Amino acid sequence: MDSRTNNEDQIETEGMADNKSSRRQFLKKMSIAAAAGSASLVVGGCGGSLKTEEMGLKWEEYFKEHYRLMTQEEKDATVKRLERLAKLERGIDVQMSNQEPHEQVLYGYAFNISRCKGYMDCVEACVKENNLDRRAKTQYVRIFEMDPGKLDPTAGDGQFFHEVPVDNKFYMGVQCFHCENAPCIKACPTKATWREPDGIVVVDYDWCIGCRYCLAACPYWGRRFNWGDPEVPKEEINLNQHYLGNRMRMKGVMEKCTFCVQRTRKGKLPACADACPTGSRVFGNLLDPNSEIRFVLKNKKVFRFKEDLGTEPKFWYFMD
Amino acid sequence: MALAAVVLVDQSAVASGAAGAESVTDRINHATEPYDSMRVSTAYELSVKTVQSKEQYQGGDFKVLARKDQISRFRCSVCHNDKPVLIQNGALFTHGDVKLNHGLGNNQLTCNECHSMGNRDFLVDKEGQKIDFDHSYQLCGKCHFRQKRDWLGGAHGKREAYWAGERVVRNCTSCHNPHSPAFATKMPATYSLPLDE
Repeated sequence: MDSRTNNEDQIETEGMADNKSSRRQFLKKMSIAAAAGSASLVVGGCGGSLKTEEMGLKWEEYFKEHYRLMTQEEKDATVKRLERLAKLERGIDVQMSNQEPHEQVLYGYAFNISRCKGYMDCVEACVKENNLDRRAKTQYVRIFEMDPGKLDPTAGDGQFFHEVPVDNKFYMGVQCFHCENAPCIKACPTKATWREPDGIVVVDYDWCIGCRYCLAACPYWGRRFNWGDPEVPKEEINLNQHYLGNRMRMKGVMEKCTFCVQRTRKGKLPACADACPTGSRVFGNLLDPNSEIRFVLKNKKVFRFKEDLGTEPKFWYFMD
Repeated sequence: MALAAVVLVDQSAVASGAAGAESVTDRINHATEPYDSMRVSTAYELSVKTVQSKEQYQGGDFKVLARKDQISRFRCSVCHNDKPVLIQNGALFTHGDVKLNHGLGNNQLTCNECHSMGNRDFLVDKEGQKIDFDHSYQLCGKCHFRQKRDWLGGAHGKREAYWAGERVVRNCTSCHNPHSPAFATKMPATYSLPLDE
């Protein structure tokens, strides 16, 4: 009992004396002390030590830092906590990564509008890879069936379901374009979305407050909102996850294409590019003059969607 | 928290600065140093069989997916030797599923325009040059030279599994059936709901 009193004293003096110590830090420490206190009461009763563990982890998660302000140790700790919570809450063994971007890499994407046949294997692969909500049928990738001469997907049919390809139509895929100058980042009031050094625009789902300003700001309809808790059948959950990528989202947060950060930082192609049977999707390092994406930019007719907005998307369309 | 605000505001300044000072296109064009993608250590060896390509792309040597071990009953000379072959056996054992639909209108190709009459273990071009089945791009590229140029560079076809690591691309015949190369019509894998209803 003595030691506990000392401990609390220490927290208080620390909070008072050191002006740099934030209110958040102070609350965090207080809350953990409180949780520990109430936990000791609960344990005696109904043998809910797992419940106690879960509650403790959730407390710590609730008071953690913004991802970009975490030290490496804190990043490792939150990933550990989230893995353990997935085990406790869902009974699954997740391997969650917090792998950092590679240096001298800037990811870029090119989409061949004369090759795509509208098979939608990319959409299907994306849903599985990124643990997208099956109930609301969330999809990061959309394919539009377009009439010749039109280059704006709003003029196309995004809900086709018939034998493809249809004569005299072409198909245009849309997803998050990972703009260098992204309006969604500027719109976010909590800085919960940002551009990583390798060019991927990511969301810290734990800092998103669900205001949907970013959704309104994005001129490309690249963002998706979780109106309810996402539902994925337990056996279909992809266990290879990344903190900034396909880890399970929750009700009331924004999500979007992350160029499959959990795959691409390991050198793999994004799930959509890997699944495409027609080779319409080209992905690679924009800073490598020998990469496929650079060949496309140099040798093919390319354009970007709404280029005049100055958003600098890193997603080009090209044709043969 | 004050520190947090300072650090986080910083990036949005950088983000808007990037557009003003140097656009992403400029940044890309200024990047002339080849990236050693072998340093992405997690891009590991593939489980599929590959062969070294006989040609080069802008980054040097690369590999293509092997074809010969995908052909059931290769080598062809096991049947196609000095002894006569019954046509019905040929149809029964290997060639029954071949539907030739290569070429436009009345300009359909025939077997011998690609397959060597003298040695069935090889393909052959118009000049009589023997071409290995694993390197069929050398034959396809004789007519489809634009596609071959794009394929070598990376605008046609696709890489196998990895953007980094050793470059492994699919062969022409990995995606196209050489006897009927056009893609078939089929139902899409899924469908989409209206956005934000």
